[in-house]
Amino acid sequence: MTVREIRDAIRDGNMTAVQAVEESLRVIEEKDGEIGAFLEVFKEEALARAKELDERKAAGEDIGRLGGVPIALKDNILYKGHVASAASKVLEKHTAAYHATITERLLDAGVVIIGRTNMDDAAMGSSTETSAFKQTKNPFNLMKTPGGSSGGPAAAVAAGMVPAAIGTDTGGSIRQPAALCGVVGVKPTYGHVSRYGIIALSSSLDQAGPLTRTVEDAALILEVMHGKDEKDATSIDVPEVAIAEVLSNSLEGLRFGVPKEYFSDAMDQEVKARVEEAIENIKQAGGEVKEVSLPLMEYALPAYYIIQPAEASSNLGRYDGLRYGTRGKGALEDSYREARSLFGKEVKRRIMIGSYILSAGYYDAYYKKALAVRTAIHDEIEKVFEDVDMLVTPTSPSVAWNLGEKFDDPIAMYLADIYTVTANITGNPAISIPCGLAHDLPVGLQFIAPRGEDAKMLSVAHAFEKLSE
Amino acid sequence: MDIDRIAKLAKIALSEEEKADFETSLPSILDYVGKLEEVDTSKVEAKAYLTDSVNAFRADEIEESAEERQGVIDNFPSESGGALQVPAVFE
Repeated sequence: MTVREIRDAIRDGNMTAVQAVEESLRVIEEKDGEIGAFLEVFKEEALARAKELDERKAAGEDIGRLGGVPIALKDNILYKGHVASAASKVLEKHTAAYHATITERLLDAGVVIIGRTNMDDAAMGSSTETSAFKQTKNPFNLMKTPGGSSGGPAAAVAAGMVPAAIGTDTGGSIRQPAALCGVVGVKPTYGHVSRYGIIALSSSLDQAGPLTRTVEDAALILEVMHGKDEKDATSIDVPEVAIAEVLSNSLEGLRFGVPKEYFSDAMDQEVKARVEEAIENIKQAGGEVKEVSLPLMEYALPAYYIIQPAEASSNLGRYDGLRYGTRGKGALEDSYREARSLFGKEVKRRIMIGSYILSAGYYDAYYKKALAVRTAIHDEIEKVFEDVDMLVTPTSPSVAWNLGEKFDDPIAMYLADIYTVTANITGNPAISIPCGLAHDLPVGLQFIAPRGEDAKMLSVAHAFEKLSE
Repeated sequence: MDIDRIAKLAKIALSEEEKADFETSLPSILDYVGKLEEVDTSKVEAKAYLTDSVNAFRADEIEESAEERQGVIDNFPSESGGALQVPAVFE
C-alpha cells in the first residue's frame, strides 16, 4: 500500500496503525534477511507508538496528516534515543540526544518510525558498499547494487517494507538509488528542508527528501518536512502550497528542455532508449519538447569533487572521538588520529583530498576555482530556464551494476552521479521517477525544475506517472 | 604528492594499504578535477553559497532540557561528574 492508501484507510477506520506497522514488520521479517536494507528495526517501539496512535484516534483526537504511516529513516538523521551512525565505525555508538527538525515534523504529523536504514559510510559513495556494517542488495536482483548513498532507504521502499523512507542527497544520493531500485526520489530546492539534526556531509549541497513508490506520496511527505527552521540558518521560506492538492494530470502546453549533453555515447544505449521513449510520451501528451544545451554540464562533476571533499573534510573535523564515538588512546593528538582512523577508506580519501585542496597554496587553484565554476553553471541553467519550464534527463547513465564492480575504481564510481550532481551544484529541485526497464532493471527519468518550483515539478512528475500507468 | 604531510594536516592515521592506494588515487582525482582550468571564470564570482538569503538571525535564547543534556553526557566516551573528561594536552 502507498502512504496515501494507508493514511486514508486508517483515517476511515478500515485499518489500524498497529495493522499498518505489523504489515511493514512482516515484510521486513520476510525479505530483509537477504536484502539488508535496515541497520536496526525498532519493532517494539513502533508497535507501541502505533497502539498509542490508535488509542488517540479512538478518543476522537486528530492523529495528524500522516497518522499511522510507517516510514524508515536513513542512518544519518537523528531520532532521539536511537543510534544514528551514518553507517560509520566512527559513530557506531552515537545515540541521538535530540530529534532532527524533520524527524520532529514527521512525528508531529503522526508517522511511525520503523527503523534506520543502511547507507554509504558518512554518505560517501554511490553503491552503499562503503557502509561499515552491511551490504544492501537491490530488490530487483540480489547480485546488483541498490545505488547510494541512500541504498537502504531505496531498497526498503522498493521491496515494500515501508511505503516511504527519508534520505539525503548531496550529489544524487536520493535520486540515483531511487532510479536503480525503481522508486520515486526527490531532492528539494536547496534550503527547502531543514538540515538541523542531520549528520552533515557537504553543507552547501546537502538536502533531505523522500523516497516513495508514487509522486503523490513524495508530495505528502514533503509537505510535512519542508519549510523554514530557525535552527538551520540556510533554510528558507517555502511558498505556502499544499503540494498534494496541486498535482495535475496534464502536461499540455508545458515546455520541456532536453539537454543534449545528457545523452552521451558513453551511456547505456538501452537506458537512453527508455528515456527517449519517455520524452516521446511527454510530447504525445501535449508537452512542448525542445533540445537545449548546457555546455558547462561536464564541469559539474569535477566541481563537485572539489567542493564536496573540501566541505566534508571540514564538517568531519568534529569526529575526533572526544565528545562521542570511540576515543583513541594516548595524548590528545594521538587520540585524534586513532579515533579518525576508524573512518572507511573512501571517507579518508575525501578527507585527504579536502585537506589538500584547502591547504595553503592550493585553496585558490582548486576551491575558489570550483566555486566560480559553480556560479557559471548556475548562471547557465538559469538562462535555459528562461525558455523552458522543466528539464528532462536520464537520472543515471546505467542501470544497477554488479556488487563490487566499481568498488576499487573511485572515478568510475564518481561518474555514476554525473547526471544528478548538477542539481546539487546549482541548488535546483530534481526528482527521479521510474520509466521502464532496461536489461530487466529499473531506469529512472529525471525532471529538474527552477529553484523554488518544487510543487510544479511534482505536478509534472505526477502527470508523467499517470501517462505510464 | 606528500601523503604523510596531508594525513598530518587532516589528523588521520592511515594504514600502509590506504597509503599505497592514495599515492595513486589522489593524483588521478586531482588530475580529473583539474579539468576546471578549461573554464573561463574571469567574469563570475566565486560564491560559497548560491542562495540569496543573508544573515538569518534569531534570538540567542537558552532552552533548558535535562533530557537532551543527559543524552549528550551519555555519549561522552569519558565523563566525570557530568563533565567531559579529555586526554592530557600537556605532558
